Amino acid sequence: MAAAENPTIEWRLERRPHGRLDFIDAQGRVHTDVDVLRAFPISDPEGPVAIVGENDVELAWIDALAAVEPALRAALEAELSRREFLPLVERIEEVSDSEPAEWTVETDRGRRRFKVAHADDVLRLPDGGAVITDTYGVRYTIQSISCLDARSRRFFEKAQ
Amino acid sequence: MENLHGTNAAPAREAAGAAGQPPRERFQLEPGETLLAACRFDLNAELGFTDGWLVLTDKRLLADAPASADEAPARRTEGGVWEWPLDATTQLDVRMRNAIGRIELAKRGDVIARWLFTAARAKGVHALEDAFDERLHGERAARQEKPQLREEAPEQEAAAVPSAKAGDEEAAPGAGGASWQALGRLVSFARPHAGMAFLGGLLTLAGTAAALVPPYLTMPLVDQVLIPRQNGANVPFSLVWWYLAGLALAAFAAWLLSWARSWVLAWVSERVAADLRVRTYAHMQNLSLDFFSGKRTGDLITRVGSDTDRINMFLSVNLIEFSSNVMLVLLTAAVLVWMNPTLAIVTLAPFPFVLWLAYAVRYRLRRGFARASVAWADMTSVLADTIPGIRVVKAFAQERREVGRFRAANDRVLEANDRVNVVWSFFGPLVSLCSEGGILVVWAAGAWLVFGGSVTVGTLTAFLTYISRFYGRVESMIHMVPATQRAAASAQRIFEILDCKPSVAEAGRPVDPGRVRGRIVISGVHFRYGSREILHGIDLTIEPGEMIGLVGASGSGKSTLANLVCRFYDPSSGSITIDGTDLRQLSIPDYRRNLGCVLQEPFLFFGTIAENIAYGLPDAPRDKIVAAARAAGAHDFILRLPAAYDSRVGERGGSLSGGERQRLSIARALLVDPRILILDEATSSVDPETEAIIQSAIDRLVAGRTTIAIAHRLSTLRRADRLVVLDAGRIVEIGTHDELLAADGAYARLYNAQMKAAEEAAAGV
Repeated sequence: MAAAENPTIEWRLERRPHGRLDFIDAQGRVHTDVDVLRAFPISDPEGPVAIVGENDVELAWIDALAAVEPALRAALEAELSRREFLPLVERIEEVSDSEPAEWTVETDRGRRRFKVAHADDVLRLPDGGAVITDTYGVRYTIQSISCLDARSRRFFEKAQ
Repeated sequence: MENLHGTNAAPAREAAGAAGQPPRERFQLEPGETLLAACRFDLNAELGFTDGWLVLTDKRLLADAPASADEAPARRTEGGVWEWPLDATTQLDVRMRNAIGRIELAKRGDVIARWLFTAARAKGVHALEDAFDERLHGERAARQEKPQLREEAPEQEAAAVPSAKAGDEEAAPGAGGASWQALGRLVSFARPHAGMAFLGGLLTLAGTAAALVPPYLTMPLVDQVLIPRQNGANVPFSLVWWYLAGLALAAFAAWLLSWARSWVLAWVSERVAADLRVRTYAHMQNLSLDFFSGKRTGDLITRVGSDTDRINMFLSVNLIEFSSNVMLVLLTAAVLVWMNPTLAIVTLAPFPFVLWLAYAVRYRLRRGFARASVAWADMTSVLADTIPGIRVVKAFAQERREVGRFRAANDRVLEANDRVNVVWSFFGPLVSLCSEGGILVVWAAGAWLVFGGSVTVGTLTAFLTYISRFYGRVESMIHMVPATQRAAASAQRIFEILDCKPSVAEAGRPVDPGRVRGRIVISGVHFRYGSREILHGIDLTIEPGEMIGLVGASGSGKSTLANLVCRFYDPSSGSITIDGTDLRQLSIPDYRRNLGCVLQEPFLFFGTIAENIAYGLPDAPRDKIVAAARAAGAHDFILRLPAAYDSRVGERGGSLSGGERQRLSIARALLVDPRILILDEATSSVDPETEAIIQSAIDRLVAGRTTIAIAHRLSTLRRADRLVVLDAGRIVEIGTHDELLAADGAYARLYNAQMKAAEEAAAGV
């Protein structure tokens, strides 16, 4: 049971079995099984984070992870990385000419084929990386386009 | 008798031209009588076309023969026109029934005369009606506006004429020499790249000259090397090498030069087309809403997209080729005449005939291409109609019909192209035949001259080489006729847009209102759309921070009034002031920065949720965006989306529900923090439960802002400070909910009907 307390904000998180997370508010009320969500996961992943309970009710808002005291931050980041499925593309094997385009990629979690509905779902980020959203809403990230091998880069350019 | 035109405003009215003037010889005023308005009518009793005048003075109504009339109250003037004296019991009633309007003059409620007119005359007739009402029934602000109207009535008539003309032009695109004018106007777009264009011209000239060298070299090769050698003279073979080297060099130079030329001119034309595209689009964005309501999306997309591309193709490929061909043809002709004038004249004999052919076929082609262009735009319009409306298509299982509609449009394109091809396929080979004939003539004349000894075989060989090139170029020039006509038609379609003036024009010296307080004074506002009068004299003062609820049946003018406050349109007469300044004097973009709109159908642009919220304020920091979303009650559902604020939404909102999209549009309005807020049926497209959520968001939005809210569901206007009930373009009641219920008028009837319907619905469940 990992607990993290926040001196400035009167609430805390508690880890429960099976990966569930409880939120105890200032009045000591317990909200079970809450979610930790990034508000701008693509354009500002280090930015605001929200804790959302049942019925989509927002329980807490954190402007920036960096400003939070380390223990809580670690707990939040652990939770975020646990729920965020963001395979990292290491190599692009093929992008088909069909519509929707079918991508075959090698990720840090293994080989994967997926379909991309539209060229707009391939998004270049200002930091040189990219995010590809497949037809199911799963996001694949590329850390840095210039670090890909030449063949992968060609496929990426073609897909845009 | 004093002449009608003799007095005060004569110069101004003279300027309006014959179209705005009742004929002087028939319509004459008595001394001391003033002209208030004049208009024309154009139908007789049998609905045949006629042309007559109605003239209103402060004492009488004068008119040409009406469609029907009681003889008794009328008299005839010396000029031969009918006249009716006016008093407090005479009334004028104008009504439009579809395309036909009627004017009825009544005395004590009995109709005594009646005129008919088409929608084309409606504007002038309505102006006369206004003047009549002000004269006899003294509507508010009459004194102020009378002199203005007197000037305006004839001018409006005159103004109707050019707009009708513009319509005609559109009906016959590509007519007359206008297409060449349109192409000529493209030159102004090339001016920023004049240096490169000039370089391209030089390269063309040089390339053409280089291409003329090889045939010239064949002449001495034949005469001084090959033929003497054949006749037994001792000519060293090394001479042949020299000539061959010369030929190769010339060919190489020609290739290099034409390569450079193509690149340079393509560079210029690409920029011209790009400028044209942006200029057209920017101009379109500045045009008023009524421009867009009158055009089909597909047609506009075709103009900005395909038409500019066609011009680009023309400039970069055809024009270059054309100019180099013209130069080559001229230079070749010059070289031929220089080499041997007799042979040259014989050789060039069929050329004028080819030119005449090209000229003759041009007209047919141009008409054909204009038709093809229109057919193509129609086809694009079918796409642009049905793709956004795909849900309706599917819901009514009309896929087959839509495919049929597309096929029909496609068939029209096919048919139009077929027609052009018939002309073209006949014409192309005919030109080939002529050029073959030309070569035949050269052989015949050349052989005869060689036999006569006045021409060498070398000269004849050079001639033949030149002439086959010559006609080759002429042929390819002729092939360019269609491309030219196509580009001309496209250029004209683009300039049609560029020549459109926004009907809501920026003032000459626009005033930046800064951040307004939000006091809106609407006084004596009339509004006509086409021939329909939608607002009949609205007077309303809205205090800063006040919330006004506009209530009334569909078509009572609620949205129109809101549109006028947004200045999407200008009132036909009367004025709207903001903090005491007339809306027409304010800079449009600066004024609209004070405005926030939440419309019935929230439009989301392609982009992320955050971008959509920040549409009115693209640089808004993230915390402001989140705050706006929170206030709009959108924050919670946004967080649940796969990428929260970074989730992408399509033009039709993608996976979002109507209520969610509406909350995004409220957040969008909240973010710009407007002083004046327009809520046009903001909650009518969502269910009552969602409405409750949106309503609380709206309550936050409204606080402290001047608000005009339009709603059918009266329950949504509970918080309004005052309710304004409109009926058929007039204000019938103003007051709070309780006051209006107590008054037991139109509002009470509406409210009770809705309550009853709600109860019945509840009972039914």
